[in-house]
Amino acid sequence: MIRRETIASASRSSAVLAVIAVLLVGLFCVVVILELGYSGPRPIDVDRWIRVAEEAGATNVVSSIYLGARLFDTILEVLVFAVATLGVRFYLGTRGYKEVVQSIPESNVVRVGAAVLLPPVLLLGIYVVAYGHLSPGGGFAGGVIAASGLLLAAIALGTERINARLRPAVLHGFEWGVLLAILTLATLPAPLSMPLLSDPLPSGRMGSLVSGGSIPLYNAMIGVKVFLSSWVIAKHFVDHRGEI
Amino acid sequence: MELVLLPLIRFAIGALSMGVGRRSRFLAVLAHLCDAALLARIALLLARGTALDATLGGWADRVGIGFSGDLIGLPIAALIWGLAVAVSLHTWKDELRAYFYVLLHFLIGAAYAMVFTEDLFNAYVILELLTLASFLLVGYERKPRQIWASLRYLFLCSVGMSLFLLGIAVVYYHTGTLNLSALAAHVARAPAAPWIPLAAALLVGGVAVKAGIFLFSLWLPAAHARAMPAVSALLSGVVIKMGVVELFRLAGVFPLDLTFTVLGAATGLLGMLYALQTYDMKKLLAFSTLSQIGYLLIGFGAGSQASRLGALDYAVAHGLFKALLFLAVGQAVACVGSPDLRALTLNRRTIPRGTRIAIAVGILGIVGIPPFAGFAAKAVLESGVHSLFVHAMVALISVGTAASFSKLLPLLSVRSAARCRGATVSAYAWLGGGIALFLPLSATLVPRSILSASWHWPAYLEAGLALALGYGIHRILRGRSFRLPQRVFRVEEGTLAVVAGVLIVFSLLRFA
Amino acid sequence: MGAFHGVTIAIVLFGIGVLGLVIRKDLVIKLLALGLTNSATILCLVSLDSRTPGAAPILVPGVEAIVDPLPQAIVLSAIVINFAILALALVFVMLLVERYHTTDSARIERETNAEEETWS
Repeated sequence: MIRRETIASASRSSAVLAVIAVLLVGLFCVVVILELGYSGPRPIDVDRWIRVAEEAGATNVVSSIYLGARLFDTILEVLVFAVATLGVRFYLGTRGYKEVVQSIPESNVVRVGAAVLLPPVLLLGIYVVAYGHLSPGGGFAGGVIAASGLLLAAIALGTERINARLRPAVLHGFEWGVLLAILTLATLPAPLSMPLLSDPLPSGRMGSLVSGGSIPLYNAMIGVKVFLSSWVIAKHFVDHRGEI
Repeated sequence: MELVLLPLIRFAIGALSMGVGRRSRFLAVLAHLCDAALLARIALLLARGTALDATLGGWADRVGIGFSGDLIGLPIAALIWGLAVAVSLHTWKDELRAYFYVLLHFLIGAAYAMVFTEDLFNAYVILELLTLASFLLVGYERKPRQIWASLRYLFLCSVGMSLFLLGIAVVYYHTGTLNLSALAAHVARAPAAPWIPLAAALLVGGVAVKAGIFLFSLWLPAAHARAMPAVSALLSGVVIKMGVVELFRLAGVFPLDLTFTVLGAATGLLGMLYALQTYDMKKLLAFSTLSQIGYLLIGFGAGSQASRLGALDYAVAHGLFKALLFLAVGQAVACVGSPDLRALTLNRRTIPRGTRIAIAVGILGIVGIPPFAGFAAKAVLESGVHSLFVHAMVALISVGTAASFSKLLPLLSVRSAARCRGATVSAYAWLGGGIALFLPLSATLVPRSILSASWHWPAYLEAGLALALGYGIHRILRGRSFRLPQRVFRVEEGTLAVVAGVLIVFSLLRFA
Repeated sequence: MGAFHGVTIAIVLFGIGVLGLVIRKDLVIKLLALGLTNSATILCLVSLDSRTPGAAPILVPGVEAIVDPLPQAIVLSAIVINFAILALALVFVMLLVERYHTTDSARIERETNAEEETWS
């Protein structure tokens, strides 16, 4: 009798909560939409951005912003990514498995197909990273593309095979080494008597592959870091599937 | 340039710690020394009057991220450094893994960056880094209680930061800039513009989730109470202050005086009421943090230079004595085995003498006994406040604080029999020294005129009365206990409270 | 006018995400709702600064009307941060579900508070 009453009162209070929630959140949405003051697209100063792009030496204006003018934000963001990897590895990586989770047995077509498709996907990732300052893409996108390719290959072929090639300790060292390299490049302008986080390398001819000063370097380093981190995160999740 | 070197060096040392492994605590010492040198240099430059405002990377003003070193930044940066050293000292013998130190360095580096940044989106990314690093630190010991508390912390902070990002979207759409000084110019030019209340409400509401304001930060009691003592000290001392610093900076852009006064009064009183009814000593400290943030907001909302300086001073002072209290009470709880007041009182002989002295010093600070840190900062704050209502609020919070902390008095009154573990006296000495020396240190920052105006007999009278009244209330309440609703600290109610809070701030700005 | 519809949808999705976080008890649904909230914020950012005869901000010769590139840089960072938050939140949800063998947040709340009931 008491148990039923407790359950009844619990569902009554959660009904009250639901009603209050709908009213409150609804009011919030209405207020935001009405008060936003949207009146058409903003006039933007195209010349300012063209000048920024020319100063950075990259035709992709967004690259010249997040790897040029707002480099600090990007460094912090790479750190956020590194912290995420750290957390995933700390909680999921150090526990013993109760049983080894077998990879799902796939047909030969899937296995051979994955092995054949992996190099083109990695190549696509490298292309997106390398041309990040000339067309949409950059370090983050390219790194995730390459990591997804590796992840799909891992699901099809089994993570043990991939782990045998890419040993976790080596990956760990690479990851943190690349992070240090990024921070070093950021502070490199200081001994050269330039302001920190600016671009110490000469920008070449705009529109060519070798242009943009340090932007392609940053793209490459971020690409490697994102690739390794995403792979580590995905690998830990894949290894822990089916444990509940 | 030195300003951005501070966080960058911390981040680099954090990355290095991963490779160094077991010897990370020595690398941390190197980090503290580098920071001290840089901070001293920054202080010297500021004293000489050199302007430290710059856009990072040498880019143009409207394009890059602006950093500025000013009077708000430097004392808080010193507080961050002091607490980093205290945590290092406290955990010296604990054999913590390199993972802890990496997170610590990233957190401290992000805090340094937060203190100096003038850019809204930079603030967003820094706050997210702070959230993730502190979230992982709260769950460091992997106890399920901590995991659940920090998951709730992550949920609420993420919603808050989404609100902040919405505010950034609105601001950027209407003004085309993310720089706080440029924004202040825009708002000053057209103070009645229709987008300002919404943008300000979203920005303030988003940051308030991290700043420890009662309605918004309902994750705080659980997260601060259940984390390990060093992490709680960092959370209460550093992470909360980062939200408060951003609020202070937003106050320079939007007209937030009334909002701060209302929010400050609410969090001061509600935090105090919850502190009075709890028997869990770590929760007591957490609720008291909520309440003390009320001082900061009220001080800043009062608007005068003296009250703002006082609020800043109090932020630093609170960081010091709250960290000391968390470390000391945390060790007492570890010795006794339970944070319950009744268990602590029964077993008070096992608490080492150093810990009890540290608790006593912390209480002296927080309760506002002259000439220690709490009293000094509060005096400066009150000298700038002219409204009777605000004075009454401050007095009420002081009374409540005294009443809550009187609960700890029985712990101090006995000679200890067994020694539990006395290895962390150095951390207590470091922080206690900071509290004792607070007055001469703050004299360098506060102008002489304000300082001498604040040390009037009303300040002493008020402090004494508050203490007496507080102790009296404690004696009256000792027999009876009352309970306030604990349901509000769940994720569901917490999120709704944030939404409600944003609507309240919006109404204050729009209709008042 | 299309952009305003985009903004309205974004705010409504934000509201739905917050509602999902509050009303549903299942931890995984809460996680999904959080992801929805974050994505809705990004949608709002993108919609606010979109324009109809617009081109990507790549300086190809002959392109005049480029879109504002700064919000795109902001969105890039925001997406990465949202990914990191979801990954870590998922890890903690996994830990909790393994320990308590349930995804019901109310039960986890009760069991976590059980030992603290005597103190608070």
